[in-house]
Amino acid sequence: MEKEAPGPYSTVAVELDGGVFSAEAVLKACYWFSKDFAYEVLRNAGGAIMVSLTPKNMPAPMMDIRAEFVSMATDFTLRERIEARTSSLRELLLAKAFAEAGVLEDSPQGVFGDKIEEEKPDGLFKILSNA
Amino acid sequence: MSRTFHPAEAFGPPPKSVSLLPFRFTRLLGKELLVNEAGEYLLAPDGTVDALVRGLPCASTELYKDLKAKHFLYDDTSSPLLDILAAKIRTKLQHIYGGTKLHIFAVTLRCEHSCHYCQVSRQGAAKGEFDMSITTADAALRLMFESPAPHLTLEMQGGEPLLAFDMIKYIVPRAKVLAKERAKLLDLVVTTNLALATDEMLRYLADEGVKVSTSLDGPAFLHNQNRPRPGNDSYERAIDGITRARRIVGVENVAALMTTTSASLDHVEEIIDEYVRQEFHTIFLRPISPYGFAVKTQKRTGYEMTRFLEFYERGLKHILDINRSGYRLAEIYTQILLTKILTPYGTGYVDLQSPAGEAWNVLVYNYDGNVFASDESRMLAEMRDNTFRLGNVHKDTRRSLLTSDPALAMFESSCNQALVGCSDCAFQAYCGADPIFHHATQGDMYGHRSSSDFCARNMEVIKHLFAYIAQDDASTMGIFWAWLTGRPIPAAEASCA
Repeated sequence: MEKEAPGPYSTVAVELDGGVFSAEAVLKACYWFSKDFAYEVLRNAGGAIMVSLTPKNMPAPMMDIRAEFVSMATDFTLRERIEARTSSLRELLLAKAFAEAGVLEDSPQGVFGDKIEEEKPDGLFKILSNA
Repeated sequence: MSRTFHPAEAFGPPPKSVSLLPFRFTRLLGKELLVNEAGEYLLAPDGTVDALVRGLPCASTELYKDLKAKHFLYDDTSSPLLDILAAKIRTKLQHIYGGTKLHIFAVTLRCEHSCHYCQVSRQGAAKGEFDMSITTADAALRLMFESPAPHLTLEMQGGEPLLAFDMIKYIVPRAKVLAKERAKLLDLVVTTNLALATDEMLRYLADEGVKVSTSLDGPAFLHNQNRPRPGNDSYERAIDGITRARRIVGVENVAALMTTTSASLDHVEEIIDEYVRQEFHTIFLRPISPYGFAVKTQKRTGYEMTRFLEFYERGLKHILDINRSGYRLAEIYTQILLTKILTPYGTGYVDLQSPAGEAWNVLVYNYDGNVFASDESRMLAEMRDNTFRLGNVHKDTRRSLLTSDPALAMFESSCNQALVGCSDCAFQAYCGADPIFHHATQGDMYGHRSSSDFCARNMEVIKHLFAYIAQDDASTMGIFWAWLTGRPIPAAEASCA
């Protein structure tokens, strides 16, 4: 459902499926729009995320803004899914990188390139690799 | 006659398991730019990221091989290579370890110039009033040599440091003794407008191995407009000083920096041509710093970031044309970013480090003993904003400076891996955070990225460089690689008759 008042400085309303888009992804998209738009984010009774974007200074071409917002929210959703699948490995990679630089007080957990450890069904590598 | 290999499948079984490695992405030039934790990138077809999230590409495709080679995924044949990725991350983040490398001594605030954008100079001040004392210099040297860094740089600046030449002559030999005692390498630099440089001073710098960094804002009309002094002869004195410094100190030991004011914006080609005329081989197209007196004189010197970006892009095109003609001229900011994008290495440039390079990689010892996180934070202090004053050489140790409240607040707010707007950014590995800039311009060390000039500048410059990289023009890439490797500029291809 979309509402739109005619004329300059109109609010652009965007409705997003709450089952597909997380509130975090939508808020991140709002953050990047916040230079030029005031925004409001609500979740309706049906679970949809309702975003209203009001230009701060200049009238905006409505369709472009809506499409741009949805595209950005989609990208942030993809980023969330990549993050969910790789965050453990990122932590391990960074811990490993810093450990070998000699700047950590404790050695990181996890094993790289150790065939024996990889063979273990409950090895740390298996747990953290999301395999 | 040609031989063909068997298909890849013939050489081994397909991988049993395939997993994603962490990466960030953005849309660029109708493609998707994927960048991993070590800054390795891949310009992939539109839809690649969605495909990776939904399922993985067939192991026999070129895209799969590219993704595996650039560490965006790993399979059961490549997991030992994860150690290599960790080593690459470590190499890219090498600025974090080693301790503070650059130590700036503001030996005096006195200066005979009255530049519109200068933050610190004191014209007409009496000798001694704004000069570093011997006890302060000794205490600053003690702190400097507490740094664990094996290779230190001591930069003496002002004001105009040649007005306190006795202090330079006091600091240089003592720094050398301390460096020898502690088995450290030491680079010495004096940052001067050269207007007051005598041959005797230059001979001292040459004898002691002190390099010269000076200012050249462009041709005479622009340089003299930006840098007023009695007699309106700053340009003439700078050129005369550069000529004599090259003769006495050595061509390779004299460098110049420029600052872009609003008066510069329409003259980028003339500024660059001036650097070529003066036979410099590097130029740094730098925007004006939003600090100190530059804030007071913003109407005269300031401009919108979009205008600076036009200036930079036009300038880079002109610089590439000059290189194509056979004259080597590297643009420093481009070189810094290309080092991060195209090579495994990071750089020592503190404005583009995460956590912030300020304090961690540079300390500024002011004439009065106060210690700041960077030259910019000293400029803020001159405007009575002491947010980034870490302590004083007469009271503090290296540990107390780096664990002071301002230092800790700055480190916490400058890890772009954990900042809103930066944590998801595809350019994170190439960029920094700069809490001092955001404090000065937005009143908040963390900063608001969507309205930040720092973010706008770096996003746009990095996108602009990726456009060149995607174009893959042999001449342009040959020039870029010549800048990164120090090799000669490739000769222009002979035209076919």
